[in-house]
Amino acid sequence: MTKYIIRRIIQIIPVIIGISILVFLLIHLAPGDPVHLLLGEEASPEDYERIYALYGFDRPLYVQYFDWASNAVRGDFGRSIRMGQPVSLLIYHRMGATLELAFFSVFIAVIIGIPLGVLAAVKRQSVVDFGTMVGALIGVSMPSFWLGLVLLAYVALRVDWLPMFGRGESLVNGFYLLVTTFDAVPLWNALRYILLPGLSLGVIMMGIVTRLTRSSLLESLGMDYIRTARSKGLSERVVVYKHALRNAMLPVITIVGIQLGVRFGGAVITETVFAWPGVGRLIVNAISQRDFPIVQGGVLMLAVVFTLINLLVDLSYAILDPRIRYD
Amino acid sequence: MFKKTLIIVISLALLFVVGYTPAVNADSDVLVIGSAAEAVGLDPRLETDIPSSERLNIIMEPLVTFGASMDLEPRLATEWGLSEDSLTMTFHLREGVLWHDGEPFTAEDVVYTFEWILDENNAAPNRALYEVIDEVVAENDHTVHFHLAEPNAFLLNNIARMPVVPTAHGDGEDFRTDPIGTGPYSFESWTRDDVMHLVANDDYWGGTPILSRIEFRAIPEDSSRLLALEAGEIDMYQGGVVPEELARLEGDPNVTVQRVTGTGHVYLGFNTRTEPLDDVNVRRAISHLINRAGIIDRIQHGIGSVATGPVPEGLPWYNPDVTTYDYNPQRAQELIEEAGVDLSGLTLGLHTNENPLRIRISEIMQNEAQQIGLDLDVSIEEWGAFWSGLQQPDHEYDLFIVGWVGQVDADRAMFRQFHTDGPFNFGGYSDARLDELLEEGKRVPSDSERSIEIYREAQEIVANNAYYGFINYYEEVGLSRPGVDGYIVHPYTANAWQNAHTFTKE
Repeated sequence: MTKYIIRRIIQIIPVIIGISILVFLLIHLAPGDPVHLLLGEEASPEDYERIYALYGFDRPLYVQYFDWASNAVRGDFGRSIRMGQPVSLLIYHRMGATLELAFFSVFIAVIIGIPLGVLAAVKRQSVVDFGTMVGALIGVSMPSFWLGLVLLAYVALRVDWLPMFGRGESLVNGFYLLVTTFDAVPLWNALRYILLPGLSLGVIMMGIVTRLTRSSLLESLGMDYIRTARSKGLSERVVVYKHALRNAMLPVITIVGIQLGVRFGGAVITETVFAWPGVGRLIVNAISQRDFPIVQGGVLMLAVVFTLINLLVDLSYAILDPRIRYD
Repeated sequence: MFKKTLIIVISLALLFVVGYTPAVNADSDVLVIGSAAEAVGLDPRLETDIPSSERLNIIMEPLVTFGASMDLEPRLATEWGLSEDSLTMTFHLREGVLWHDGEPFTAEDVVYTFEWILDENNAAPNRALYEVIDEVVAENDHTVHFHLAEPNAFLLNNIARMPVVPTAHGDGEDFRTDPIGTGPYSFESWTRDDVMHLVANDDYWGGTPILSRIEFRAIPEDSSRLLALEAGEIDMYQGGVVPEELARLEGDPNVTVQRVTGTGHVYLGFNTRTEPLDDVNVRRAISHLINRAGIIDRIQHGIGSVATGPVPEGLPWYNPDVTTYDYNPQRAQELIEEAGVDLSGLTLGLHTNENPLRIRISEIMQNEAQQIGLDLDVSIEEWGAFWSGLQQPDHEYDLFIVGWVGQVDADRAMFRQFHTDGPFNFGGYSDARLDELLEEGKRVPSDSERSIEIYREAQEIVANNAYYGFINYYEEVGLSRPGVDGYIVHPYTANAWQNAHTFTKE
């Protein structure tokens, strides 16, 4: 197992190098020049040349890449062209907001989506099944942008304690303070800010999880080992939860893992609608400003997170399905 | 499992219902400004974007500033004057002004700020605005002289755009994110893309600010920001108003709408380096195809006014009598016949950026051009690519729709754009008389009769040559809550909140 994990982690390295070259080329070869955007409409052509050289853009691309890469290996991702701050700091400051929103929305999707999916599968062809599936279909079909604005206009506008923008306390810090000082106010402040953006992301994912849980569980329930379990005289409860659901969870976990990875990349639209200070907005703004160091550093960080989540998903298979072994 | 889940869900729901915290912005002592974009930074020597200027113009102050009618008003300087030979500009500085750290503001700070900008080792993007300055000398703590290499009538306007930075902190590593100024509010904290807090400077020379705090909230989505204003969670809405919403907002008792002519315009640029746009009659013909009133009325829902030239309407140099090109397809056809060009089978490229209004104007132009048998190929580009593309000396854009903002004087509105060597002359415009006028304009005092004569003639040359097909002047729309008093929408948006210390809130 340990060997397997180490091998997988080593395999990440070429992936990361490949991605870093690809991102570097894409952003540098795209039309648009960071210095033109930086200077706006004041600078003289001489200033342009001078500042262009000051940032080292006059050097050949491969030199720029190796310069960046050799610093990145040492943990220095450079400074934002636009803001002048270290890229690692800019990303670090937004990581908390992004992680919390990602986990919170996945939490909502899983804690409601899986039970609903099970319910629909167990009561197949019933009104409950039909209702759940229609609900899930609506969830999957809603654009997150639209759902966010609806939540703002019809919920936040009417409910006094629900803020319409921004991020309050950190959720983690809120939990920490609740446990250490029994002060629930910070946690409350974190929750009321994250609730609507979390819901608008979570509901859509909930639709996916519900539908997948249902179909996957139905498939499992039709397997031979379920017939065996039933013929052994096990109760329906045990058959469904202990035997069938466990197997049915494999595809669900895969999807949840991928969704979590996508959320780490920042849910740009939700972040924009709710003015949530996450990584997605940072990277998208950086792309439109051609702020190369942020784009390179940000995408690289996402790639690492994504590959690690994939690894975790693969490892979880072994826990759920004893037939899967990693040696 | 169901039961457990149910218990968790119910207890979470209870937590939300039981818990109660008052609405975000119930405090009548805090002004909350919802802003379309986050500031890039807070160092006036480095920032070029409007959101940054809006914030730092509360924290810091220039020597003189543009008031709400675009006249220059004293700020850190109480008096200023130009020597006989127009080569020395002298400022008498306000006494008793303190930096937010308690140290006195002196002429040395002015010297430091401008020397830093002029130093080629620093990447000051606005350096070109001050290039004409040879030397900045402090005569004493409260008198400073700017010695110029050559006369420049509009330097004062450029100085009005640069807040003074403290010598003691200006070189600090974190000055850009934790600045110190002399302004009515001092910087407290900033979580980028979320909130910036400013607190009242009780020692402000202009009197203690009435409201104790200002909060800038970056809310990029227009609809979210508008909802927040209507719900009273923000007191002021900054950034473009969706034109479709304006009529509704003007009837909404919960929103105060103010409108003022801005300092810029949108135009259709012609590339005179390509055929047949090198022919003035073809340019005039296309100008006659711009249905300005229709565009303002239908696409912009009444925001803006018909543009006839590069200088904004409110400025003294504005020439109301230039040659104009009213919407007249028949005249356009006649001009094409006069020019003797055959447009059939010809396709020209019309380029603009992702701005939805400009995209719709492009589509309208595409239709109108058919009337003279001209095919336009519209391409919409992302701003960064478009802006860089325009600045390539050999760009292949035949026609382009873009705009200018911050045209605070005639020189800014014309020299860069229409002088043969202007850095933003995108269409290869070149006219010997125009060059002469634009050079002379820099030398004669900006408040003289001669200055006005020069620029009125220059505007006529531009109009007569149809270098630009002017579309509309911008209009700034300010939205605030009715309880907020003292706010006047500013034509030059960077100065929007410079008098925030006089605002009150119910």
